[in-house]
Amino acid sequence: MARLTLSGLKKVYNGKQVLHGIDAEISDGQFVVIVGPSGCGKSTLLRMIAGLENITEGEIALDGRRLNGLDPADRGCAMVFQNYALCPHMTVRQNIAYPLKISGVAKEEQNRRVADVAAILDLSQYLDRRPAQLSGGQRQRVAMGRAIIREPGVFLFDEPLSNLDAKLRVSMRIEIKRLHKRLGATSIFVTHDQVEAMTMADVLIVMNGGVVEQIGSPVEIYDEPSSTFVAGFMGAPAMNLMPSTVRRGRTVLDAAPEAALQLPFAQLVDGQALTLGIRPEDIVASHDPGSDGLLAIVELVEELGGNRVAYCSLAEQQLAVVLPKSFNVANGGVLYLTFPENALHGFDATSGKRLAKAAIEQLRLVPA
Amino acid sequence: MTTDALYAPARSHVAPRNRARGKAGIRWNTAAGHVVMVVLSIICLFPVYWMIVSSFRPANAIFETTLWPSAASLDNYVHALKAIPIGTMLLNTFLVSAIVTVVQLFTGLLAAYAFARWRFPFDKAIYTLIALTWLVPFQVVMIPNYRLVADLGLLDSLAALILPHFAGALAVLMLAQAMRSFPTEVIEAARMDGAKSWRILWEVMAPNLRGTIASLAILLFISTWNEYFWPLLLSRTPESSVVQIGIQMFITSEGTAWGPLMAASTLASLPILLIYVVLQRQVIQSFMKSGIR
Repeated sequence: MARLTLSGLKKVYNGKQVLHGIDAEISDGQFVVIVGPSGCGKSTLLRMIAGLENITEGEIALDGRRLNGLDPADRGCAMVFQNYALCPHMTVRQNIAYPLKISGVAKEEQNRRVADVAAILDLSQYLDRRPAQLSGGQRQRVAMGRAIIREPGVFLFDEPLSNLDAKLRVSMRIEIKRLHKRLGATSIFVTHDQVEAMTMADVLIVMNGGVVEQIGSPVEIYDEPSSTFVAGFMGAPAMNLMPSTVRRGRTVLDAAPEAALQLPFAQLVDGQALTLGIRPEDIVASHDPGSDGLLAIVELVEELGGNRVAYCSLAEQQLAVVLPKSFNVANGGVLYLTFPENALHGFDATSGKRLAKAAIEQLRLVPA
Repeated sequence: MTTDALYAPARSHVAPRNRARGKAGIRWNTAAGHVVMVVLSIICLFPVYWMIVSSFRPANAIFETTLWPSAASLDNYVHALKAIPIGTMLLNTFLVSAIVTVVQLFTGLLAAYAFARWRFPFDKAIYTLIALTWLVPFQVVMIPNYRLVADLGLLDSLAALILPHFAGALAVLMLAQAMRSFPTEVIEAARMDGAKSWRILWEVMAPNLRGTIASLAILLFISTWNEYFWPLLLSRTPESSVVQIGIQMFITSEGTAWGPLMAASTLASLPILLIYVVLQRQVIQSFMKSGIR
């Protein structure tokens, strides 16, 4: 069992508050990814769980046991660092066995467990090499071995893949997930890479500016972002966010006042500003002027191989549209764009918070 | 246009000549540089050479100015070995230098770890004070140190030569600097594994600071070996003194015994010369690292 509870966690560095009360509940065996832009406090949060940073306020508990103030080694957590953090003068064997050596495990037992871990991580033939003689991926596996051998309740990963090249990153991603399935230990993985976040997480925690923006499964977060920040951060290309205003019961895109979206719900009042969002792959594009779509000029086309992204301008509004490979489009061309009702997201213009789904799904595009 | 016409042919002739002169110029610069370095090396090495050569000159030919002794002899060495217990003195010097080096490295590592890794009240002020002690000349602390050693009843003992050097600013500053640039993640990983400060210092940091520690050891050993004034103040008997004092014993009110003096000096210099020969690269690096000379 390893259930981690974070309650009201705050962190102040030299008078500057970097975490503003983090609450989260991480169940046993979950693979949780904390994602957010640089400086959002995700690594600080992880280091607080690890015991490498003091907790200014709040509490961290593992299975109900308060971790605040405990030494890093006594928390039942193991950490994998971004730069591998291996001792350069020790061999792979010595690096992996180091936690056991410190806790006074007998030499034979050390050797047996190192052999087991090396077999899991495919490191058996490198045991007598030093870290300098290994590739980046192998070093990261050694770092993972050093964490695994302690048989911790919680694994903490601090951007462990960001020093690897793109191809290796993908294979290590799969390897870490496979390892998680095999060991079943609660894992917390910090990254700024949304692809890593989406592909690895059972539960995603999206952070921004020292607060948790949203907690949920990757699909939930992608389909129902709780704020314009989450909507813009998760997904590539990012969700299109369009400033709009309520006029006579309809939502009018500020960029295209000639068209309006019918708004039959009550909580929006005339003159209220809101932000409409739509994923680039949800926009329907057509070459047909009679398609009832809004006219947009294609400014740039990005080829992705399987499909292409057209960056368009709808008056002042910039929009990204994902198009199938078969859809011919050229720079400077014209597209007619329609926004399917069920793909639209609504956010409050001031707070950026999501508007209730029930309200949004009834939006309808009608001529003004 | 007129000037162009005038200068054009001349320029075309001059250009290749300049290029040729350019190449030759570089050769001349290199040659001149080498000449200067050779002259400087001779100036530096000549006294050492003269010391060795003079140590082989017989007493009646000690003031000879030939580059090679007309009749080489080992008389000066025999005399030097008989006149003073040079073996004991060399051993003393070695012991003092080795113990000072080891102990100062040890205390330096402990202090440097504290300054590099811990935050405690007045840490920066204490660090600055230690740095400032490096700027205080020996002559200023000479008398207080003497009084202390005398009060401890250690006059005329090797312990007195070693004790004031148990800790030194250079070791603390150099090691703290090296430790500050040590990757924090490696230390944090060791902490996560359960290592406490003592283990982190000796098992994680020290093995990776071998370069700095070796440089520092060389510097400390050489500077302790060459020390003269402090032993001169404390020593009363040759048996409890260092070889530098032994050399001085050949300068008496009746005159200077140049031959044995040169022989003793040669013997005293041999271990250091050996260090220079064997560890040439490390010695140069250590001087460069510490910013000395």
